[in-house]
Amino acid sequence: MENKNEHITSYKEHFSTYAALILLTFMTVFISVFGADLRTLSVATAMLIATTKATAVAYYFMHMKYEPKIYKVMLATVIILFAFFMMMITIDYLTR
Amino acid sequence: MTIRMQKEVKEMEDWSVGVMVKKQNTEHQTLNIKNMNHAFTLPNSGHNFDAKASKMGMWLFLYTELLLFGGLFLVYMVYRSMYPDEFLLASFNLDVWMGTLNTVILLTSSMTIAMSITALQKGNKKLSIQLMWITIAAALGFLIIKYFEWGAKFEHGLFPGMDHFGTLPTGERLYFYLYFFMTGLHGLHVIIGAIFIVFVIFGVKKGTVTPERYSLLENSGLYWHLVDLIWIYLFPLFYLIH
Repeated sequence: MENKNEHITSYKEHFSTYAALILLTFMTVFISVFGADLRTLSVATAMLIATTKATAVAYYFMHMKYEPKIYKVMLATVIILFAFFMMMITIDYLTR
Repeated sequence: MTIRMQKEVKEMEDWSVGVMVKKQNTEHQTLNIKNMNHAFTLPNSGHNFDAKASKMGMWLFLYTELLLFGGLFLVYMVYRSMYPDEFLLASFNLDVWMGTLNTVILLTSSMTIAMSITALQKGNKKLSIQLMWITIAAALGFLIIKYFEWGAKFEHGLFPGMDHFGTLPTGERLYFYLYFFMTGLHGLHVIIGAIFIVFVIFGVKKGTVTPERYSLLENSGLYWHLVDLIWIYLFPLFYLIH
């Protein structure tokens, strides 16, 4: 009943994830500060980059990559639930 | 179950049998206890440790945290769509570079705590503890920068209830309500996460968190990554409206 047979993520893999996250951070700052004309595009891009970063954190840092399927199903349930809330609120405000 | 554990369970059972026999010295009771000899684990005896269940419990807690912040992001979404220009105007009061620096600090600390798990799994306790201290130092760095940021807002009277705040248009006031509430709640999570990691450091030193049994470290790591995850969304939504 100990933490046996668990995957050990290498330092290298963690560092690569980190490098990618830093790169994405500077990308999103750059787009926001210097690409001010693309305002509507910039919001969507910022959210897309943030979601990419969040996925990388969950997948590599939080070891989701190596977890059993049940954890992934549970995470997907929460994301779908939140997406549903978001959709309902958007529909509510668009039809007022 | 290892032989050592079996032996300990046996001792535990013998002890409980002894207690029962002393209490009620009837043949009936003694027989009953002896029939229970299969897979018998006393609560809090240390033999009912389950790494998988522990991690799943932590994840379930993190899901509730995600929905807590998720609700706040929905409030943000609605008000930003109602007052897009005032949100933009209010966001100019924030320092993008301080926000960027804090993002880098949190990402770095996320990597160090992830690496400290690797170090402990490989049996390198010293490196693991050092990496945890770096994570805590990063948490303090984050909070210090946050202190200067909030301090500047207080000086400009932008905190809800202050004089200048009262003169602002509705949209800008809503922006600052959300800014202070969401970054404040996030800051609270940073403090809790850092305290959690301090406990894990003492656990490693005492030997309750070991290379064979590192669930506590793993769970504190998961919590810390959640803090990072929330900031990943807070940063572009509050600092980068341009």
